[in-house]
This record gives sequence, C-alpha cells and structure tokens, in this order.
Amino acid sequence: MGNGVTAHQATSGCGADVTTAKDPFGQFAVTVGVVDARAVLAVRGEVDRVNAPELGAMLDAVIERHRSVVLDLAELDFMNGWGLGVIAARASRLKRSGGTLTIRSPSAMVLRLLDITGVAEVVLLEHPDPRRGHLGAEQSSAIADALLGTEPYHLPPHVGKITAIPADTDVVDGALRLVVALARATVGAADGVSVSLRRHGHLATVAASDQTISDMDASQYATGEGPCVDASVKGRWFHAESLDTETRWPTFTLRAQALGINAGLSSPLLAEDRPVGALNIYSRTAMAFAPKDQELASVFAVETSLILTSAGVDVTDEQLSRRRSETLWARRVLAQAEGVIMERESVETDDAYRMLCDYSRRSNQPFRECAQDVVASTQRPQFDPEPGPKHSHNG
Amino acid sequence: MAETSATGASADVLDQYRRAARLSHGDLWLRYFELGGMSNALELEAILYGALRPSAHEREVIAQALNERFVELGGNHPVPYSESDADRLRDKNSQT
Repeated sequence: MGNGVTAHQATSGCGADVTTAKDPFGQFAVTVGVVDARAVLAVRGEVDRVNAPELGAMLDAVIERHRSVVLDLAELDFMNGWGLGVIAARASRLKRSGGTLTIRSPSAMVLRLLDITGVAEVVLLEHPDPRRGHLGAEQSSAIADALLGTEPYHLPPHVGKITAIPADTDVVDGALRLVVALARATVGAADGVSVSLRRHGHLATVAASDQTISDMDASQYATGEGPCVDASVKGRWFHAESLDTETRWPTFTLRAQALGINAGLSSPLLAEDRPVGALNIYSRTAMAFAPKDQELASVFAVETSLILTSAGVDVTDEQLSRRRSETLWARRVLAQAEGVIMERESVETDDAYRMLCDYSRRSNQPFRECAQDVVASTQRPQFDPEPGPKHSHNG
Repeated sequence: MAETSATGASADVLDQYRRAARLSHGDLWLRYFELGGMSNALELEAILYGALRPSAHEREVIAQALNERFVELGGNHPVPYSESDADRLRDKNSQT
C-alpha cells in the first residue's frame, strides 16, 4: 500500500492541531498538536509494516523539539509488531534523554503487546476515559486500577493467562464433545460414550453422552478402580466384554450393572506418547463390541490423541506457567536487544532482528542467549556484531 | 502480517520440517512467539499448511524457531530463512 504519508515537523503552539498526515485510503492518519506543553500525536486507522516508518518519522520530528510526547491511540483500529517496534525505539530514546512518551487510550490488544514486549516499562500509560468502554470485560476488571493516572503500568500476573496458551481449553473440550457424539453415532453397540482426561493432576470427565455415563466415570475416579482409570493410567486398552464374568474391578462392576451397563471398552488417549486419559464406550448388552467396533474405537482414540497432542494437554499447570513466564521474559529481552541494536546501528526493527539472527547463526548460539548478550553489552563498552566461532553451542 | 495464498508447496515443506523436528503445533508456536512472531497459533498453523503466506519477516522467525530445534537435536540449520533461499535450495537439489 503506497500511502504517500510524509513526516511533518510539529511547531509549537497551544491547543491547536498543526500538522496532519494521512494516506489516500483513509486507513492511517496522524494529527500532531501541542497541548499543555506536550506534543500530542493522535493516530487514526491502522499501523502496520507499510506505514510504521511514517509514524516513526513523525515521532522523530516531534522528539527533536519536545521531551514530553503523547501518542493518542483512541482512534487506532489496529497495530502490529512493526508499529510497536517504532514506538519502543522512540520511547527508549526519549527516556534516555530524560523525556517521556505517554501512550494514551491504548486498546486491550495494544496493552498486551506493550507488556509482552517490555515496552510498558519505558512508557507512561494514560487512559482519560474512566469507563474504559473499548476494553474487554476481562482486561477491564483486571487492569482497572493500573490504568488510572499516568503511573508506569505493570500487567497483573493473572492477566498473563490470556497469553502463550497452546490451545484454549474450551476449544479442546468442544472437539472432545464432537468425538463423543461421533463415537456414539458410529460405534454400533455404543449406548454411552465419554472422554476422561487428566486435568490439574486429577482425572475428570470432560465430555459425556449423558449424565449416567458421567456419574459412572466419576465413581471410578473416586474408587480408583475401573477400565477408564486403568486405561488412563496404564496407557493400554481395557475391554470388559461381559460384566457378568468380570473380576478385575468388583466395585465398578456392581455400580455399572446397577445402572444397566453390561460391557465397556476403554481406549487410552496419549499426548506426546504419554497417557493422559481414555475414550470410554459402554453398552447395555454383554459381548456387544465386535472387532469392527473395537477397530472404530481405536481410530477415534488415535485421532483424539492427535488433538490432545496438538493442544499440549500433557503440559501440567506448573510446567505451563513456568514456560509462559520464560517465553514472556525471552520476548522482553528480545525487544530490548532489538532496541539496543536499532540505536547503535541506526537501523529499523527488521534489520535489527536480522542482525540478531545472523549473530545467532554465526556464533551457533541460541537466539535468546544472543539477545541476552546484546542487552548485557549495554553494561560493557561494545557489542560485537561480527562474532567469531568462539561460542560453539554444539561443542 | 500474512496474506492468503493459493500455493502451498513451500509452506507444506515448512510443516514437514515441523514434523521432522518432532514439534507439535503448540510447541512450535510457543518457540516462534518467543522469537518475536506476531501471528497467533491458528495463523501459524495456516502458514505451515500453506493457507496463509507469511511476510518475509514472519518466515524468518519460523525458520529460526525450527532451526533452533534442529540444533537442539544435534543438526544444523536445514530450514531456509527466506523463500529465495528455499528456491535456491530446490534448484540445487534438482541439479544433483
């Protein structure tokens, strides 16, 4: 998109908009004015890879004359990492020179980007609308206090839950309910179907064709005895052909027969080859599951396992939490490293990223370690962008 | 960040690299996100399967995430960092 935007210098004035830049498609526009001795850039439309440099040029022009700069994002429709990189670089520069960059009226998405990348630490946040009408409910309640005033903003830890989750639990549960419905409809002898899954360290029924089946699963979890528990724990098939002759699970057998169940087939569900649950199919008829039914159950179990593997359900809450923190921290360091390189080498975000990539490849060092090196080098005289083979990662 | 694409040849190769790297889509997305990727998990999956075409920068981030995994597994950097690198590699392989 050629937007024809040019950077304009803002002139001093009070309360008057003095400069406007916009693209011919009306998707991106910046209005610059000076209010109460602060330069205010009001951004409208979308900031992406194409027009982020224009925003950067306008910020540069304003920063030359003003140490207190406000970026008003109330009319911003969209901004991606390109825009954020431009803002990050200018915010760091202003901060080093004793100035401040204030982000006014950021959307929930922009707030999230600011926090993930660590930019929130170098800007002030200002939200003049006490109703915070355009924030989603979860963000609105979680960060309400932090948004008042212009204090540096730190995202409350629990808001981090909305980021870096491999797959949404609701989506996984929806897929599992579909599996249950399909198995119930296609396995001829099935009178009831359920999926058991280990969550928060305990087995639970996350999808069931009816309440009776769900109750029967629950009694197995409570006693620790039954085909669905064994399949979930041992990662093997368990087939109770006829409960009349079943001896492996006496408590389960009595309970199931009382509910009219006479056969059961539990297939293990695996995520990354580890047992995480079971697909359970029950029938009122003894000896109900023919080889074809068993084969179908196996197909459903394998496909369900693929869903669970992709969703990362084998990751425990603790592991997920730790990994999420590490990921956010690494991204923060990356943003800082990019900022350092952009400043030192006078390059834009993409070029800074590419230099980091090259550094990582030449030194055979993981990217995150390279970013840490760059950030740490701000404490030392110089970061060497042309490393020798001295950091061999593979030994 | 990504645009729709009718061609999935090189993107399909990307998903082959993912499988060879023994990474689930979720694992790869976390690594990609850590390295600065801006697409969400669904978009990344679409890129790997060729339904979306990544920008040059996004492509570089995906390649970096995959190559770091290959290094962990004792390999080198088999994933081309750009479409032009991938084309050169294909030409070279077809000549040999």
